[in-house]
Amino acid sequence: MDAFSAVLQGLPMTLMLTASAFAIGIVGAVPLAVGLSSSNIVVRLACRLFVDLVRGVPIIVWLFLLKFGIQIGTFKFDPVSAAIVGLGVVSVAYLAEIYRGGLEAVPRGQGEASGALGLSRGTTFLHVMVPQAFRIVSPSIATYLTGLLKDSSIASTIIVAEMVFQSQSFARQHPTMEGILPYVLVGILYIALSLPVAYLSRSLDARMRKAVYV
Amino acid sequence: MTLSEIANGKVAPRTGIRLDNISKQYGSNIVIDDVSLHVEPGTVTALIGPSGAGKSTFLRCINLLERPDAGTIQVAGHTIEPGKVINAKDLAALRSTVGMVFQSFNLFPHMSALKNVSFPQQKVLGRSKSEADDRAMQLLERVGLKDKANQHPGRCSGGQQQRIAIARALALDPSIMLFDEPTSALDPEVGLEVLAVMRELADDGMTMIVVTHEMQFARDVSDTLVVMADCKIIEQGDPRAIMSDPQEARTRRFLRAVLER
Amino acid sequence: MSWLSEWAAYLPQLMSGLGVSLMIAGISIVAGYPLGLVLSVMVTAKNLAVRTLALAVVEVGRGAPALVILYLFYYGLPKFGIAFESITAACLALTWNSAAYSSEIMRAGLQSVARGQLEASNALGLSWRHTFFRVIMPQGMRSAIPGLMGVAIQMFQGTSLAYAIAVPELMKSAYNIGSQDFNYLQIFTLAGICYAAISMPATWITVYFERRLARQT
Repeated sequence: MDAFSAVLQGLPMTLMLTASAFAIGIVGAVPLAVGLSSSNIVVRLACRLFVDLVRGVPIIVWLFLLKFGIQIGTFKFDPVSAAIVGLGVVSVAYLAEIYRGGLEAVPRGQGEASGALGLSRGTTFLHVMVPQAFRIVSPSIATYLTGLLKDSSIASTIIVAEMVFQSQSFARQHPTMEGILPYVLVGILYIALSLPVAYLSRSLDARMRKAVYV
Repeated sequence: MTLSEIANGKVAPRTGIRLDNISKQYGSNIVIDDVSLHVEPGTVTALIGPSGAGKSTFLRCINLLERPDAGTIQVAGHTIEPGKVINAKDLAALRSTVGMVFQSFNLFPHMSALKNVSFPQQKVLGRSKSEADDRAMQLLERVGLKDKANQHPGRCSGGQQQRIAIARALALDPSIMLFDEPTSALDPEVGLEVLAVMRELADDGMTMIVVTHEMQFARDVSDTLVVMADCKIIEQGDPRAIMSDPQEARTRRFLRAVLER
Repeated sequence: MSWLSEWAAYLPQLMSGLGVSLMIAGISIVAGYPLGLVLSVMVTAKNLAVRTLALAVVEVGRGAPALVILYLFYYGLPKFGIAFESITAACLALTWNSAAYSSEIMRAGLQSVARGQLEASNALGLSWRHTFFRVIMPQGMRSAIPGLMGVAIQMFQGTSLAYAIAVPELMKSAYNIGSQDFNYLQIFTLAGICYAAISMPATWITVYFERRLARQT
């Protein structure tokens, strides 16, 4: 088997890990972002501590903790679920921070105008703040997605058979010069995979800039 | 039909406002110092004065965007005192009775002009979408922007945005309109479009309080001119009388500075 | 035995690992940022070859996972007879990483300096060197500070990946202890606390700088 098809064998797993963790993050970050901008100081600080703690510990540590550290009765995480949960929780924290920044970036006047019109807080949040915040943060979310794609490679350290893991096993079986190929190919593949997302992010960014927000 | 009749669907119930002994401070910084103002139904009050005089904060106290520390506000059957807790429903009712137009328009940038005017009606007054859209269309036509209905605010000029904002406020059938320097962010000639709409609204008998630097508008359109300086009202009365013969030295200084520009 | 006393027993071994982690992070920052500055200027060069080369170095350094670059240096290059100690490979890989990331931040910083500054310098007849080092760079670097601090934190956390090439850093030390006693939960929790004890305050300081900068501009 040649190096390229060896690397490609891991592609579905890489994509699956990235997509699952991203899905967890996109949804899970919503309540956390609300908590981060809560006016209740206890709620706000608790959410802040959670976000900073999750982001303050390297992903590999979270994965090892879940894979090797957690044992409840007979339950143990298999490598794939440990990777999905670990990357998912990290995504929740990062995306919550991105959402919060977006909510804060919505001009003050928007909330005031909504108040002056008599719109309720819920309506204001859902129909005025969130749609605008989403436009503001969509380039950052796209950028985060490319970061997550790369971070999914860390799952190889807990024996998840994604692209880097496959590259490693190919390289090990080929001690000749050919053995460097999978690393080069997998690197190119990651860059190629993030191109469409980067392109999307750039066009979103351009659209954002074009929109005149007064 | 007049503008306010379209706005209300019937002749406007004319409402005045009584503000008594309003004070507001941020920390130790006094912004409004024991100000009282009575506005008769159907009249236009122009509020002028140097920046930092507390005009905007005072205006924002009327619909409780700022909660005054002391004093009472009587508006549209509501009496608001500082200590009294107001529930969200009453607050929404009060705010829909009192329309407000901002210096920076504050249109919702992610909604079309039509949706900007229609959406609050559905949420605050519980109107159906078709009813709200019809009303919105009427109002946009009245402010001369029917053809912009499907445009987003970002594609409209400042003057057009401000007229959409006026339509948005009118759509909730307010009996009083507050204007917070509505033309300050606009080029002079664009400001005229907005002032024309406001003049028409005044002719229809809408009760209006206008914080403004437009002296000609204040003189020609307002029934009462109120001069604020240093957190207080220093002079009020007939606009022409005050402008031609100000009683206070502070007013004289301010008018000279504005008129000589 | 309680967690705390176990932790006390593990701590000396972990601390030596942490020392290695900090050293790798330090080297990658000290070597990476100057390289990043050079790259940030190179990517705006008029010469196409220079620009393309710089862009390739930056795009690979940011686009490929750190783990892949690490493997490339440690497992890949030896197949061509170029072999490194695992710790050298880790330093080289992370330096590439930090140069690529920091170059993007510095480029953005330099670009944020108002055009008028360049025009004024030219009008005054300042040399290229003076214009860049005395006028543009001090202003551009100021706005890049929080971003560069962010990259430093990212590099520190990135050293944990050197575990995968058996560098005796914090993560590897933790794993070694864990595989002796099989008390992975305790040891990885303690390792996490060690990382967080450095990353979290560093993040707070970064946020502080960010806010101060936002207030001043």
